[in-house]
Amino acid sequence: MSRKKRYKVIIGSVCLFLLVLAGTSLAARKVINVWHTETNPLSRKAIANIVERFEKLHPDIKVEAEALAWGDLEGKIMAALAAGSPPELSHGQPITCAALQAKGLLLPLDDVVKHIGEDNIWDQIKKVGKYGDHYFGLVHAAGTSLLIYRKDLAKKKGLKNPKTWKDLLHNAKELTLDTNKDRKTDIYGVTIPGDNLFINILLGELTKANGGILFDDQNRPQFTSKCMIEILEFLKELTEYMPPGWEGHGYRETFANMYGAKASMMYQGYGRGASLIEEYAPKHMANTDYFDVWVKPHGPSGTKPAAQVDEEPWMLFKGCKHPQEAIEFLKFFYQDDNYLEYIQTVPIHFFPVTKSLRRSKAYQDTPMIKRWKGWLDVQEYYLDNDLVKPTLVIDWKDMETKPYLMEILGSGILKDMVMEVTKENVPPRKATEKAQKRAEELVKDKGYAKW
Amino acid sequence: MKVSSQKTGIILIAPSVFLICALLVYPVLYGVWLSFFKKHSFFPEQRFVGLANYLYLLRDSEFWMSLWYGTYYSVSTIVLQIVIGVIAALILNEAFRGRNFVRGVVLFPYMIPTVVAIILWKWLLNDQFGLINYLLLAVGIIEDPLSWMGKDHIMTSLIIISVWEFTKFDTVWLLTQGGGAEKYIRTLPVFAYMRTFMYYQAGLGSTLAVIMFGILIASTTVYFKMFRREEGI
Repeated sequence: MSRKKRYKVIIGSVCLFLLVLAGTSLAARKVINVWHTETNPLSRKAIANIVERFEKLHPDIKVEAEALAWGDLEGKIMAALAAGSPPELSHGQPITCAALQAKGLLLPLDDVVKHIGEDNIWDQIKKVGKYGDHYFGLVHAAGTSLLIYRKDLAKKKGLKNPKTWKDLLHNAKELTLDTNKDRKTDIYGVTIPGDNLFINILLGELTKANGGILFDDQNRPQFTSKCMIEILEFLKELTEYMPPGWEGHGYRETFANMYGAKASMMYQGYGRGASLIEEYAPKHMANTDYFDVWVKPHGPSGTKPAAQVDEEPWMLFKGCKHPQEAIEFLKFFYQDDNYLEYIQTVPIHFFPVTKSLRRSKAYQDTPMIKRWKGWLDVQEYYLDNDLVKPTLVIDWKDMETKPYLMEILGSGILKDMVMEVTKENVPPRKATEKAQKRAEELVKDKGYAKW
Repeated sequence: MKVSSQKTGIILIAPSVFLICALLVYPVLYGVWLSFFKKHSFFPEQRFVGLANYLYLLRDSEFWMSLWYGTYYSVSTIVLQIVIGVIAALILNEAFRGRNFVRGVVLFPYMIPTVVAIILWKWLLNDQFGLINYLLLAVGIIEDPLSWMGKDHIMTSLIIISVWEFTKFDTVWLLTQGGGAEKYIRTLPVFAYMRTFMYYQAGLGSTLAVIMFGILIASTTVYFKMFRREEGI
């Protein structure tokens, strides 16, 4: 064999050996796929750090964590389930968890709950993922929707926390301002995002706050009810004080109107907006003297305020390759030190689900929590008084009895109804009849109609 | 052993034929098949319903609205793209200083991803903070900011962006992300997407795809007939 040939054989053998080695090493490690919806860089970094520490403790496990936008998540979960290759863990909407659990596609997380200590988890949190005696979902953190307002402007006008929708309309009118006296509005009284998701969240909240229901026990939609007509009439009036074109604004554009001094109130705000205010509002205004929160008002047929709680549960999928390893990862995730790092990435929106962490000094001393405490107090009030429910959930039993809410949300039926009333001047009664028909068809199509 | 040229030809085109069948013919035929079923988009449950999906759509006002929006949008963008494209081509064919630079600028929309372009356009067209409204107000063309992303102007915005980007479906969806104003630009492909991936009704989604396919075939046939007639002249 010539020298040149010998070299070639040696190099080839080394490469082959390395390839085999790499392949064996990868094959030996168990890979668990984790999909989550916290796409902001800080949260992604925190998850990456937790994963790194977990992998050090478990060299035989590799965690592939992927941050997904909300819009992509549901479809991706469904496609993965249909293909028979679901991830081990994923975030999801509570109503998605309800739907998948009803189809028998999830595995219980009882071991994780036991490890954390069932008594250590807030009662409100347990309601999201517990079906029968088992936990099929475990919330990663909770945050409620908030009515954010410009405290400085409200103070000047002598406005108080609105108790009813009528009060809110009054405040919206008073806070619609022509600051330079050119007979044009410079600051609009109120704003909401026009996204399908947010309109659905809004309709669920308003229905609760007006003492109504969206579906009866036979799963028949209740969109033509007095409650819904009142909601639509209220929204029609409220939109008079909103920026024109609000229906085309996503959440970030809506919030930009808030910190950019174009709107005085935001009905569908969230605690994570405090970070946006700190980042983008003029420095002297980036505090609770200028941006504060009010408790949401109730409707003419309701008695209590209502808000939505953003609390996506972790779900463990049946048919995944390494469920036990995924459970170990979740136990590690909820350990106080790891969990605190995660919570502190969005502290005004991520309420810890464990009592131990919420009471801990390390958590309470988080600088941003100290700066925006009022925002957390209102959320705590909602959570502790059971005034919040997940999107489109009116009563906790809906989580088990109405697994079609996910499709109702995706269909855009409620959003179209609101647009018809507020943008096309369709009378509320007529718009509700159309929505009722569409929703009845959808519920029948999914096989849940009992009427 | 000698292989005849005919056999060689068959061997050479076989991979292409296989790929076309697997990626084009099969999905189209499966789509037609699916349009006769009531089927969940992701789960195996399905039931034969004959022509029920087609009959449902014929009675559905949302379908007719989507057809109208789709036609309006397609005709507007195609006409504008042709007119502006021909004018731009004629200008860029002339010799002038900086022609190469301008040619590069004209190609810019092709080079940036649609998602990035849409994000930029959304902020440019933002009613409160957007540059477009700022400029229009500054030169006195408008007195109040226009709601480019709102009900009344969303279609105009969509057409402008589509003409600039030379894209279709993704622009329609990305511009609104299913938001409130989406209702006013819900073209047939968006409607089909919503039925399939948001209502999880793959049967109805396929029916819509078959109808779109039919419309495309019909309009192409008309186009070819006219084109051939002109050739004959």
